[in-house]
Amino acid sequence: MTETSTKNILIIDDERGMREGMRRLLQMLGYNVETAETGSSGAALGIAKEYDIYFIDLKMPDISGEQVLLKIKTRYPEAICVIITAYASIDTAVNTTRLGAYQYIPKPFTPEELELLVQRAMDKRWYILEARRLRQERESRLLELVNEQSRLRTIINALDDGILVVNNEGQVVLFNPGFLKLMDIKTEIRLGQHILDFLHKDLREQIETLLVKPDTVTAIKQEIVVFPPANLVVMANITPILKKKSEMLGIVAVIRDITELKKLDLLKSQFINMAAHELKSPLTAIQGYLEMVVNKTLGDSPDTYENYMDRSLTRTKALVNLINDLLNITRLESGRVRREFVKTSISGIITECFKSLQDDIHQECIDVKLELDDKITIQADRDDIYRIFRHLLENAVKYNRKNGRIHVRMSKEGHYALVSVQDTGIGLKEDEKNRLFEEFFRAKNDLTRRIAGTGLGLTIVKKLVDSYAGKIQVESQFEHGSTFSIYLPIG
Amino acid sequence: MGKKILLVDDDTDMLDIYKPVLEKAGYNVKVAYSGTEGLQVFQEFGPDAVFVDLSMEHFDSGFVLCHKIKQLPAGADIPVIIMTAAGHETGIRFSTQTSEEKNWIKADDYLEKPIAVHDLVQYLDDKIFRDK
Repeated sequence: MTETSTKNILIIDDERGMREGMRRLLQMLGYNVETAETGSSGAALGIAKEYDIYFIDLKMPDISGEQVLLKIKTRYPEAICVIITAYASIDTAVNTTRLGAYQYIPKPFTPEELELLVQRAMDKRWYILEARRLRQERESRLLELVNEQSRLRTIINALDDGILVVNNEGQVVLFNPGFLKLMDIKTEIRLGQHILDFLHKDLREQIETLLVKPDTVTAIKQEIVVFPPANLVVMANITPILKKKSEMLGIVAVIRDITELKKLDLLKSQFINMAAHELKSPLTAIQGYLEMVVNKTLGDSPDTYENYMDRSLTRTKALVNLINDLLNITRLESGRVRREFVKTSISGIITECFKSLQDDIHQECIDVKLELDDKITIQADRDDIYRIFRHLLENAVKYNRKNGRIHVRMSKEGHYALVSVQDTGIGLKEDEKNRLFEEFFRAKNDLTRRIAGTGLGLTIVKKLVDSYAGKIQVESQFEHGSTFSIYLPIG
Repeated sequence: MGKKILLVDDDTDMLDIYKPVLEKAGYNVKVAYSGTEGLQVFQEFGPDAVFVDLSMEHFDSGFVLCHKIKQLPAGADIPVIIMTAAGHETGIRFSTQTSEEKNWIKADDYLEKPIAVHDLVQYLDDKIFRDK
């Protein structure tokens, strides 16, 4: 038993000689001693804090030692109280032990008797304190455990993923709200209920497989369509809970919503299908032309094939453009675009685009009118802005008519630079306008038949404009022309 | 005069390729550039066989045109062959047709592009007009 701190003793006795004598002796033994000369003041002191040992005289003028003892024991049931008594009142003293006194000591007593008694009382006190400490420790652990369980429960309930645990008889042990939501279970499930009663067939079968064949246990992954065709698709990871190696305690199924992934997957394969089709079409034409040339299908005269070679070249160039556009789109969608933001003059870029289109404009005798404003600049990557206007202006030329017009206007609209590109081309029908920015969409009619295009130009333009928090608008009248308006934030 | 063939494809190059080859092989060929035009030319021209591209003004224009031709009294017995670059491996619609869809379309055959020009002639001679 180690003394971790000085022990406190309270002596309550109306007899001064006894009080002071005990104080001196106990202080010499290293205890911290306080005294009270009346029963009531002693009781007040003794209740104010818990002493290690209380000495209480049985006979005091104001209130009796028994009353003091009761007060202290009521406040501190484990307090160690020693009753000091004269031989005359020994019966009463014995009675006090029934009231919870630890011991009594008859007067007079020798210092040795007192020392022995205090030592024994202190030992007892140590056991009491130690028991109290252990009890508190256990209680706090229990509290922790309860907290831990409710914490776990809270976490499980908060998970988006669904969780279902069943025992080895297929009865529900645990589930969370996520599980009910993802499996679309509207009825109430009781713990202990059998999975047969409510579970989706696909999930139930997999769990049953594991339940009946515990020796071949491996985790199972199962995709489940909850709302067909693809409005709610989940992936269930079904894993046996094993004790040691062989004994199976139950099964846990974790359900994850993969609807969005499935949708993305579908979009991706649609895109690949479209891309493959668009890549294959020009190759089919090129192959056809080349076969005719190589096999001299239409005779020996080289003149017959000149046009075929020209067309093959045109389609090859278009194919290269398509691949570039596809790469551009992938680049834009990956979000890993390295951009260099610089002060960019839109009018400069438009002028540049027109220079590169000069041959075609000339050939089709298109009249170009530019109302540009050099003062309007934006913070942007030059290549992006070039791509936007190159695609738009190329369309304005390509889909224009012979002797047509292109009119480009620039203005400042609030915080935006507005550029509108107006052409006198073939225009768009209402339904075509809505699909204009779809990947691979091309308006197909008599007027567009001979015009080469990838169907990706405007998709790229829209993606680029969106990436600058800009806006693109189309006004069009079929067979009369279109106006594309681009808004880009000034900064 | 040889047998009459109608080629329907929005890709003018394909028509430029197949038309002269089939003509050289002795067929009488007319072309159309869309499903709508295809039906019109069919009625005027009265071909003995029709080749239709699948994706024209719409991705399934070929299916629709084939269905419409087969609905016509003059078209019910005329072979209609649907061609596409969207073959099984690109699988836009070819591989996912249900029997219900097939009954609706009533195509006589499906060919996957590219079809070599001499193969097309061979195909007509061997498969479509073998007994005729």
